[in-house]
Amino acid sequence: MSEELTDPTKGYLSTRILTVQLKRYDPEKDREPHWQEFKVEARPIDRVLDVLMKVKWDQDDTIGLRKSCGQGICGSDAMRINGQNNLACKMLVQNLKSDKLTVEPILGLPVIKDLIVDMKPFFDHYKSIMPFLVNTDPAPTTERLQTPAQRERFDEGTKCILCACCTTACPPFWGNREYVGPAAIVNAHRFIFDSRDQAASERLEILNDAEGVWRCRTVFNCTSACPRGIKVTQLISEVKRALITGVLDMPQEAEVLA
Amino acid sequence: MARNRIKPQGGFELTAWYFMRISGLALVFLAVGHLFIMHIANNVENINYAFVAGRWANPRTGWIWRLWDMSMIALAMFHGFNGLRQILDEHVHGAKARVAMHTTLWAVMTTLLVLGTYAIWMFQVDKAYVEQFKAMNPGAGSHASVK
Amino acid sequence: MSTILPEPHAYRPGKLARLKEGLRYQGGIGQWSWLLHRVTGVGILIFLIIHVLDTFFVVFNPALYDHTVAIYGGVFDGQYFWPLRWAFRLAELGLMATVLYHAINGVRVILFDFWSEGCKYQKESFLAVMIVFLALMVPAAVVVIMPLASSPDHMVKVPANTPNP
Repeated sequence: MSEELTDPTKGYLSTRILTVQLKRYDPEKDREPHWQEFKVEARPIDRVLDVLMKVKWDQDDTIGLRKSCGQGICGSDAMRINGQNNLACKMLVQNLKSDKLTVEPILGLPVIKDLIVDMKPFFDHYKSIMPFLVNTDPAPTTERLQTPAQRERFDEGTKCILCACCTTACPPFWGNREYVGPAAIVNAHRFIFDSRDQAASERLEILNDAEGVWRCRTVFNCTSACPRGIKVTQLISEVKRALITGVLDMPQEAEVLA
Repeated sequence: MARNRIKPQGGFELTAWYFMRISGLALVFLAVGHLFIMHIANNVENINYAFVAGRWANPRTGWIWRLWDMSMIALAMFHGFNGLRQILDEHVHGAKARVAMHTTLWAVMTTLLVLGTYAIWMFQVDKAYVEQFKAMNPGAGSHASVK
Repeated sequence: MSTILPEPHAYRPGKLARLKEGLRYQGGIGQWSWLLHRVTGVGILIFLIIHVLDTFFVVFNPALYDHTVAIYGGVFDGQYFWPLRWAFRLAELGLMATVLYHAINGVRVILFDFWSEGCKYQKESFLAVMIVFLALMVPAAVVVIMPLASSPDHMVKVPANTPNP
């Protein structure tokens, strides 16, 4: 066996003591959030989520946080970790640059308790852009066919898990909760550029507003925060260009399908 | 296929956004050029009334400078105040507060634009003053030639 | 007997708190270039308002205009103050830097909007902005600061009364 697996001071068995700064808020007692410090022993392969759960299990069970799948798919454990939005389950302790870990709730949405925020405003924006396929043609007996290029066109937006990392990293959204936010635009993009969908004009009409895409200032915080690696700012720019030019930049329907 | 064409969109925010880009590009040349002329090509300490008169009242090239300054002030005013409006829109949310804020901004902008336009087009050289100034400052005004 | 607990409320930071929390966000190049773009924009607008007002003096009072611009050379009320001249020279340099940054970064933003590949080179394009900025700013700084090495060649005297045109 390699030294890395047997020597407790090296590799995956080694541990380090992390200093965790956690932003606490108890709605029944506190007027404002405050910081609380914990010391946690963590292995390199632990996720930040594991670190937080260790704190909750061993040191203070009153900590409130959302988590579900723990694999970066459900999108429920978005939080600001060391100053940047991320999923707690997508960050490994071995990738932390120092032994300090700062965890606080995402900014811009009301804090209900500790790391739990009220996601209602976020999902209201999501609903406002009609996030469902609209096609009034009679349903075919088989699937609605697309070429691989047409499927590829909106692939980027389908990766979204609605964790709110991007929207709550967006400075215009911090200032103005009315702004529809990057996540909603990404999901609008997913349908606007889908060749099977017929409601692109309606969605663009909704986004062509002071609180729609024009509030975007190309800050790129959304792109760097996205745990799914979606090029959010790029997608928003494409929606802006569709509004300016009146042309959807989409691959043509292949003749084979006709 | 025709599906790729969508209903052309318009609206104030779209136009404002587009205007910011176009005016910005124009201002890169107008404003940076203005800075170059005033601060690099000339020593800013030599700029005085006679210098301004020599530019604006020049019978051959005066209209070019007036046109330059006019386009610059108009674009810069709309660009600057629209930019400020966009910033404040992020922080002022109430409907009444927004109306008050927009009204104030556009009123201040219009006033400044009227002042600037008046100065640029109504400017006439005060020849007596220039003579007096030159007599008092014999070493100065090498750049200023009033015709 | 039952105790009535105060209803728990959600916490939403106020405007100032959100600004402070926002500034702590580690957004990297995109965030700082945007913030600098915004701050320089407001700075230029403030200068522009002052500049429009002072230039308006040329149409109604040439002497007042000359008196005002003489401050650039450190001459105030017929007397020479060297700190005034230095301060205005440095402010002039600051103005040039502000306008140049806003202009060059503005072109970068336009590239994001109108060039379909623009967003891919977000960080690289900021490096380009910095290179162009320095390439223009360093020679400009030399030209602007050089006159400070020598005292002004003449003292501007402004006629007291304005004759009518």
